[in-house]
Amino acid sequence: MSILKRLNRSPLPYYALAALLLTLTVLLSTATQDSSKLNDLFLPIFGLGLFTLLLLIGLLFRSLLRLYRDFKIKKPGSKLTVRLVSAFVLLILISTTIVYSFSVHFLHRGINSWFDVEIERALDDSLELSRTAFGIRIRTLLRQTRMMSGVLSEVPISEFNTNLRDLNDLSGAIELSVWTMDGQLVTSSIQNPNIIVPDRPNDAIFRQLRQEEDYIGLDPSIGDKLQLRAAVLIPRTGADEDEKMLHVLFPVNEQLSDLGKTVENTYTDYKELNYLRKPLISIFTLTLSLIVLLTVLASIWFAIWISRRIVHPLQELADGTQSVASGNYNTQLTTKGDDEIGFLVRSFNQMTERLTHARDATLVSHRLLEEQTNYLGAVLGSLSSGVITLDEQLLLKTANVASSSILDTNLQPLLELPFSKLSQQHRHLQSFTELVTTEITHKTSWHQQIELHSGMQLQILMCRGTPLPNSAGWVIVFDDITTLIQAQRDAAWGEVARRLAHEIKNPLTPIQLSAERLQTKYQPMVPDNQTEQLQKLTNTIIQQVDAMKEMVNDFSDYAKTPSLKIESIPLAAFIREVIALYQSNTQHKISLTEAPDLNINIDSNRFRQVLHNLIKNAIEASEEASMPVDISLHYKSVSLSGQRWLELTIEDLGPGIPDDMMTTLFEPYATNKARGTGLGLAIVKKIIDEHQGTVWTENQEPTGACIIIRLPLEKTTL
Amino acid sequence: MPVYAIVKKSIAAFLLLFCLNSQAAEHFYIDNASISKRGNGYSLNATIHYPLSPRVIEALENGVPITFLQHFRLSEPFPVIGAYLPWDWRETHWSTVISYQLRYHALSEQYILLAMDTDKRRNFPSLNSALVTLGKIEQLTLPPEHDINPDTTLLEIQSELDIHALPTPMRPGALISDKWQIASPWVTASWP
Repeated sequence: MSILKRLNRSPLPYYALAALLLTLTVLLSTATQDSSKLNDLFLPIFGLGLFTLLLLIGLLFRSLLRLYRDFKIKKPGSKLTVRLVSAFVLLILISTTIVYSFSVHFLHRGINSWFDVEIERALDDSLELSRTAFGIRIRTLLRQTRMMSGVLSEVPISEFNTNLRDLNDLSGAIELSVWTMDGQLVTSSIQNPNIIVPDRPNDAIFRQLRQEEDYIGLDPSIGDKLQLRAAVLIPRTGADEDEKMLHVLFPVNEQLSDLGKTVENTYTDYKELNYLRKPLISIFTLTLSLIVLLTVLASIWFAIWISRRIVHPLQELADGTQSVASGNYNTQLTTKGDDEIGFLVRSFNQMTERLTHARDATLVSHRLLEEQTNYLGAVLGSLSSGVITLDEQLLLKTANVASSSILDTNLQPLLELPFSKLSQQHRHLQSFTELVTTEITHKTSWHQQIELHSGMQLQILMCRGTPLPNSAGWVIVFDDITTLIQAQRDAAWGEVARRLAHEIKNPLTPIQLSAERLQTKYQPMVPDNQTEQLQKLTNTIIQQVDAMKEMVNDFSDYAKTPSLKIESIPLAAFIREVIALYQSNTQHKISLTEAPDLNINIDSNRFRQVLHNLIKNAIEASEEASMPVDISLHYKSVSLSGQRWLELTIEDLGPGIPDDMMTTLFEPYATNKARGTGLGLAIVKKIIDEHQGTVWTENQEPTGACIIIRLPLEKTTL
Repeated sequence: MPVYAIVKKSIAAFLLLFCLNSQAAEHFYIDNASISKRGNGYSLNATIHYPLSPRVIEALENGVPITFLQHFRLSEPFPVIGAYLPWDWRETHWSTVISYQLRYHALSEQYILLAMDTDKRRNFPSLNSALVTLGKIEQLTLPPEHDINPDTTLLEIQSELDIHALPTPMRPGALISDKWQIASPWVTASWP
């Protein structure tokens, strides 16, 4: 099979076919020549030609079928092959048809030109002339023969021999012979001494004589030399005598014989040639047709082969190009050649080689870039600041983890989308997007602080914007400085509280003691009508000093930051213990409504203060608004961001918190009560912060406030 | 169908057509083929009839020489497979071919019959007389007596046109045309 395949690809069969065709052509051409030794083999050679023709038809059919199949399945290169083959076939057919038509035409014309009516008539005439020329002589000789037969009829048979010899000598005949009518020789006289037996007249002459018709005619002899043969009956002298005939052969004048011979030969040759005209034309046309057909088929077969050979490298090139297009850059073609296609293949190989190098270099730089991107991503991801980048069309290009965390929204789905989408989806970020879009129009670095109001919470961001090089966009860095500012405020308030406590608390005791001494020492000394007034005045001093002490204690409490003594506390029991202290007032309804069994790690003293402050605050708010004191506490465990939290809610049915105080409620001196230092909720927040928790407030519908505390819940506390 | 199968079938069809053509033309026939004792040997007498087709006569009259072959064969058949089967093997002891050329001489209006082997020629004023003479086999000497066993040996005669002697342009046409494939069947002569 592999040998066959190799043979199929190699040009060897085509060379062999070409050699066979050439041999066939020579053989056919030789065999059609009359003088050739091969003309006996014309039919076998022609049969071989027919066999070759059938073989070629088979091969051609196979090649065409293969081409058709390739074309049908749209094999690469088949279209070009079909085009080339069509062009070749058209060219071959047109040129061969023209050559064939002209050849056949010239063949017919050439052969027909050998013959002419005038020549034919001339030959007929010359033949007739020859016959006429011989006719005069024939008539003379017939008379002469008849005379000789008359002479012989006068002599007895025994003297025939002598008379014949004399007559022979006198007439100049070649031979004279006397025959009986049943073909028996009687006697003869022959000029040529080498000939003993005379030439026997044929039966037709005997038959003619029997019908009493004398015979005379031209008689071609050996070498087509002409002689005249005459036969006449010898008149009988008696009724009982057998009939005899005189047979005479006369020579013909040599010149006349040669001329007659020439006329005869020319006439016969011309007539034969004329008769052979049609077969000659047929055989030449047939041979020419066979050769032309063989040549055409071989040429078409060769055209298919050469087309495939031409297209093969192009097909390889197409495959290679497709391969390169699909990303396989290291494709190398194997086709070789010194022609333009070979040059193309070499160029293709060089191109793919360079492409491979370029791709490798790109891969390396891409990997480097990826590493750098990852590095940058890791850096950005580890930053606590939010970093986002925008391009010139204000499309969000990058956003680190901290940015999503600070803005409390996942920015990843918004990547490659307009930055304004952020505010459309999250209304509380509108001021942020407006700030950014406004500031980046200035094309210079900027920084600005901005406050975001998310529900009841305030968030303060410090934003900085810097244009990227080459006007590629902007990088926006922002930090949540809410805690920082809060801490600064807390620290400031702590300092104020500490100083107040220190500066005010010290003189208060002497003031109180002095007022008590004043009351004790000078009460007896003042008139009775003024005693009450003195007492009232000193009591006022003492009460105000007490109030101031209480206030200073509160400041002191706020200012001090004792280390927490964390212990695991059963929360339900702890809360019930606190609210039990408020059960003395029957007007107050304080209840723990929902209390799953939970332990929590807290500083019980500090947290107790939290509960007291909150309950006290709720009671005071409800009472001031002359509303029923109905406080309910409940808590539950929640899971947020993969961590479990305790969520403790304290609700009242009081007037709720005014909207303007929502953001500053937990700041010192934020109060709307007539009495109070405004430090209660600030202390609550401070303690909750110390427990790593958060606290916020919400108003309830239709009335009432709700304070929610969220504290981290350890697994062990369950 | 594979190419070789197509080629094979085409050749078979061609050969079949050729064979049919060949068998379709047996016009010559042989009469009175008999052998007579002559001295130490035998001689053959027979009459071969040559009814020529118009195509052959036309060629003859147009100056084309026509060659006639007369085949003589002494053979001994013996069965190969079995005595009752028609096919047998023949061992040829002696065979000869006598060829004659007949042509028309336009000037003398004679038909010339030429024995090709002896170069002996005879002229005839008519075609029929020439053919009659051609077909008359008289006293043809057979091989000596000691070579022949009349009980087992067969003398067969056959005559045909020699197509290969025709002019080259006519030959291909004559080879595939039944008008030229004129031959007699093999006829066995009777022993005395």
